[in-house]
Amino acid sequence: MTLDVFLLILRLLGLVLLYLFLMQVVISITRDLRKTATVNQDEQSKLPPVIGHLIVVDSGPSAIPPGTSFSLNPQTTIGRGPTNTIQISESFVSSEHTRMWLRGGVWYVQDAGSKNGTFLNNQPAREALAARVGDIIQVGYLRFKLTQ
Amino acid sequence: MAKQLVAKEIGRRHYRWKELSLLIVPLIILILEMFQLPLANYYRANINGQKIPFSTSILPTVHDLVPILGLVAAVAIVHILLTIFFPKADQMLLPIVALLSGLGVLFAIRNAPSSFDPNMGIKQLVWVLVGLVLFLGVVFGLRNMDWLRRYKYTWAALGLILVGITLVNALHVKNLDSPTHDQLNFGPLSLQPSEFLKIIIVIFFAAYLGENQDVIAEGVRLGPISLPPMRQLGPLLLMLGISLVLFLGVRELGLALLIYGIFLSMLYLGSNKLSYVIGGLAVFLVLGFIGYSLFSYVRARFAAVGLDLVNWPNWTQATLDFERNQGLQIAQGLVALSSGGILGTGFGLGHASALVPVAQSDMIVSVLGEEFGLAGLFALIGFYLVLLYRGFRIAIEAREPFHQLLAAGLTSIFGIQTLIICAGNLKLIPLTGIPLPFLSYGGSSVVANFIIIGILMRISHNTALEKEGLA
Repeated sequence: MTLDVFLLILRLLGLVLLYLFLMQVVISITRDLRKTATVNQDEQSKLPPVIGHLIVVDSGPSAIPPGTSFSLNPQTTIGRGPTNTIQISESFVSSEHTRMWLRGGVWYVQDAGSKNGTFLNNQPAREALAARVGDIIQVGYLRFKLTQ
Repeated sequence: MAKQLVAKEIGRRHYRWKELSLLIVPLIILILEMFQLPLANYYRANINGQKIPFSTSILPTVHDLVPILGLVAAVAIVHILLTIFFPKADQMLLPIVALLSGLGVLFAIRNAPSSFDPNMGIKQLVWVLVGLVLFLGVVFGLRNMDWLRRYKYTWAALGLILVGITLVNALHVKNLDSPTHDQLNFGPLSLQPSEFLKIIIVIFFAAYLGENQDVIAEGVRLGPISLPPMRQLGPLLLMLGISLVLFLGVRELGLALLIYGIFLSMLYLGSNKLSYVIGGLAVFLVLGFIGYSLFSYVRARFAAVGLDLVNWPNWTQATLDFERNQGLQIAQGLVALSSGGILGTGFGLGHASALVPVAQSDMIVSVLGEEFGLAGLFALIGFYLVLLYRGFRIAIEAREPFHQLLAAGLTSIFGIQTLIICAGNLKLIPLTGIPLPFLSYGGSSVVANFIIIGILMRISHNTALEKEGLA
């Protein structure tokens, strides 16, 4: 073996190693990107799925325009107080006005001891009443339609 | 609650396995090239037509490998310190930077015999070690980046004053054709403040844009086009103007180009408006044309771009004279590149280092392309791309606008510098004296680049901690 053959081997080895390192780096980049992609998916799936909305159909004496939509949680409280899921700052809404909850795929509506009352399809909801999609829920003088 | 989580995360040791596994190959490459260099020198010294037989007696000893082994040890120490104190920081930056700066040291050692300074290799090694220390200093010291943002005007003034003094000094003492007229000498040390000014400019831009992002993105509508609000852009334009005047005044075209490029990319990142960039490029073309017709040295730089090397048999006497004088650097660089071919001549066996003027810094791409070939050049450009990718990734993941803009701006420095110097070496644009990050010989440049990597590392660590705290 002559020296130039040895130098050729070293040179090719150097190039191979350079590309090996580049490949290693690119592989770890792809892995990293894939990981962040799955993390983002997880974060999206962690968000609570939207399970229903209340849409204003009759704003009564309030300033809320008809068509305003409020999303519902599995446990939703409506009232004037700041701790409610849906907060409505109107004088005819009591600080804790209405409770709604989802059990076994059915929405239940119950008055929470309000002054002006809660009605489901014009029936006073002093006890828990089962509501279906399309029913009208009245909170004080404000009327909502329950939708998906 | 959040603090407890952070404490728990720190308490649980994360070993930086990815960094370790990525470090192995670059360090082997460095040792291999260092091993090859004495053999190549022996080969060149003894070549006389016939084949040289190979014997184990000419193999380099461990003593010859000492400089690179020292660097390997230093990188290992940095890796261990990062593992202990910053397990969550980015793991890809250190391996890439170790490879690039190690190759920089190797090329300095290789170019030393044919340059003005025979100790160049050891000097570059010392600078890289100083850079690693400063890198650790930045990663440990920048606990809170707020003070960078808060004192942005102080930084800007400091940087400009420093560079201004240097340039005025240079104008008095030296002639403008000397390649290193923006140096500041402190006894045996000579610093190039402009290398640090670019970091300061990015900090200033990031701090200012981060605060005024909304107003600048809004723009002022003027008929169909929306102009950036001039009052908010004022300080930016002032900073830009002063640095451009400073650099153009002493014929530092490359630095002026770099600063303008940083300005445009950060304006785009901060405002998300392509129209600003297009407008900025139009202004740049107008300024470039004015500069071309006003200054003779700009015209001289452009003349080299027009050199037609392929058509050399038909050259006139005037072209030949030009090639031997002003165009020598670029012409010899291109010849060297082409003689390298695809696989290169092999490390230490090219001619560019001896024949191309200023091969160790400005024309490093030619030396590299000759000795590592097209394949090696592509691999190195790939490493720069990965470096940019990691930098922008850190910027995307950061939470605060200032951190995002800072990381992205600092990364763009690498991108723009690599682009300018590679394009200059390949005769696509006029050649300018800008260092190739980590590879070119030059202490200030290497140290400044390590500081940039340190800031990026710290931002990625802070982001990771914040995420743990929020999770």
